[in-house]
Amino acid sequence: MTLWSRLRPYVMVAPSIAIFSIFFIYPIFYMIYLSFFNWDFINPVKEFVGLDNFTELFRNNEFLQVLSNTLNYTLLTVSLSIVISLFLAIWLNREGTWYGIVQGALFSPHIISLVSVSLVWMWLMDPQFGLLNWLLQLVGLPKLEWLSSPDSSLLSLVLVAVWKGVGYNALIFIAGLQSIPKDMYEASALDEANRLRTFYKITLPMLSPTLFFLIIINLISSFQVFETIAIMTKGGPVNSTNTLVFYIYEYGFRYFKIGYASAAGVVLLVVVGLLTLVYFKLLSRKVHYQ
Amino acid sequence: MKKIASVLLATTLALSLAACGNTTSNASNDAPASGSASTPAPEKKKVEITYWYSWGDKIGENNENLVKMFNESQDEVVVKAEYQGTYDDQHSKAQAAFAAGNAPEVWQNEISSVGVFAKSGMTEDLTPFVEKANLDMKDFIPGLMGNSYVDGKLYALPYLRSTPILYLNRTLLKEAGLDPAGPKNWAEFEEYARKLTVKDKRFGITMPVDIWTYEAFVRQSGGTMISEDNKTAAFNTAAGIDPVKLWLKMKKEGTMNIVTTDDAGTQAKTDFHNQRSAMQFASTADLTKNMIVAEEQGFELGTSFMPANTTFGVPTGGCNLVMSAKLSPEKQEAAWKFIQWMTSKEQTIYASSFTGYLPSRVSAVESDEMKKLYEEKPLFKVAVDQLAYAGPRPMQKAYPEIAKILKDEILRSVVDSSVTAEAAIAEAAKKADALLSK
Repeated sequence: MTLWSRLRPYVMVAPSIAIFSIFFIYPIFYMIYLSFFNWDFINPVKEFVGLDNFTELFRNNEFLQVLSNTLNYTLLTVSLSIVISLFLAIWLNREGTWYGIVQGALFSPHIISLVSVSLVWMWLMDPQFGLLNWLLQLVGLPKLEWLSSPDSSLLSLVLVAVWKGVGYNALIFIAGLQSIPKDMYEASALDEANRLRTFYKITLPMLSPTLFFLIIINLISSFQVFETIAIMTKGGPVNSTNTLVFYIYEYGFRYFKIGYASAAGVVLLVVVGLLTLVYFKLLSRKVHYQ
Repeated sequence: MKKIASVLLATTLALSLAACGNTTSNASNDAPASGSASTPAPEKKKVEITYWYSWGDKIGENNENLVKMFNESQDEVVVKAEYQGTYDDQHSKAQAAFAAGNAPEVWQNEISSVGVFAKSGMTEDLTPFVEKANLDMKDFIPGLMGNSYVDGKLYALPYLRSTPILYLNRTLLKEAGLDPAGPKNWAEFEEYARKLTVKDKRFGITMPVDIWTYEAFVRQSGGTMISEDNKTAAFNTAAGIDPVKLWLKMKKEGTMNIVTTDDAGTQAKTDFHNQRSAMQFASTADLTKNMIVAEEQGFELGTSFMPANTTFGVPTGGCNLVMSAKLSPEKQEAAWKFIQWMTSKEQTIYASSFTGYLPSRVSAVESDEMKKLYEEKPLFKVAVDQLAYAGPRPMQKAYPEIAKILKDEILRSVVDSSVTAEAAIAEAAKKADALLSK
């Protein structure tokens, strides 16, 4: 083997590795480094404080609430959007113009900018004059507070996220459903298996790689929710919709506490890393790859 | 996070492109001048500086117009004005830009942030420039100078300055048989709100839980926000609790609509514009806008002092102009020239009559132009008269965080009836003390 043929693969990947290192790896390590300091971004002197930022984080009730908000938001958003999109996918997985149109309509929220989506939902959810409360009143239900009460604000954001995400998830599910060989269904039909049994014994196991992929992707993106919060609530009212990424942004760029914000960033990194790991370990055993 | 990064990248690209565009156009502008034989001096290059401003609409137009006038008034400095969203947006962007080494030369500090930026070394001490230019500092209205000095040095000059005032829908006031001059004190204010409320149709007043407004109410009760030595919160007293008590009482009676969403400020404005509320606390900067809206909607607009508790009182607000630190002497000179021009008598008269902001100079208030304006449109004069009761905003480094804590705790008492005004303010004071003692 010549030297060049040994080196060639490394030279080929060098550019992407370089970009990856500069824009992903280096910032991660720099953030971890910064989390041990007090710094305001500007002052040339960074004051080393050891683990103080972390102890302060976990002593701060506000931060603990932020963590629980983030967890609640993630669990609700992911479970709702996966379940709803799975049923939609099964319903939509057939021939016909109407099904195509519905599928397109469901997918459309995915391609609209989240900023405009947030603004439109803010109008819809206006407690006094919003369309949603008008509809509720029309069918004789009481008005809801939506974003103006800490009891319903996080759920309102979950609603937006589910509405926005269902179309994409359903699309991936439909692709997964269509790749399941027809002969398996034919066999189960011959054996006169009922629909529920067919679903549990064939559809779900055959769909598990898709399901697994979607859960991971949804978990990670929900954990990092930012835009809807920045536009619709700014974490309020009374911290009820403040989540990790928005918290980091606020402390980093509004209160200029870079060290403290970095410490919160490290927490985010650890949580998302752990989640991914746990899911890979646990779920990969139950996932059926053909 | 990825999105933020790409937005930043896009902005930088756009900025650098814009910068390229300007250099070329300047080059072509300069060409004929250098070509003329009568100029003995070698081609004089214009110094280019960037100026950031907040807010659009009338205020944005005012900034763009002034910059255009400045660029046309002389041929040494070219200023490029850039819109940067709200004050908060501008502050975060300036901080990031400064860390990256490309901060704008001149920008705005919301007055309670002057201390933060001066102390972190982002803004330049203007004292030597003022001395060199022999600027008469006594001409700036003393009530507006409370947020200019940090540790005895001058860091910022008053530019677009305001106080909150009470806007009134005089048509509705007259309908309700009330004196269209407006309420003088809190008791009258309550009574006005009660009489102006029409259930399911209109509130006496719609307002957000806004710290600027809260500062005004505390001042009206004879209190202050932070102790003299900057070490503790001073609002955990009757003067700090009474405002919240009043708000909660009026909310319970249904005469005050306290909006708790993040866009509460906008909602208070639209409610007033659409006559779904009859009064509104807002900056004097909204005056011209409100006058236009009132005319479109067909109601008579009024303004008055914010009502008094034990005394009249408001914080001042708005922004001061600052110069970024660590500029080259050439840029410093250009930036100073611009700041001096922008804050001078003629310009403050222009800005004040264009928007409703306060004129920042004594000579401007006394000028014939302003006197004529006050005679024709007396609504403009209310904020100037109210200045006698105005004071600065707190400038501690922790104040932005304290403001957020206060807002959250007050909001907690608004949405949760089991939380009393006393408990909310005590909790906020406890957290604020922890931040201030660091």
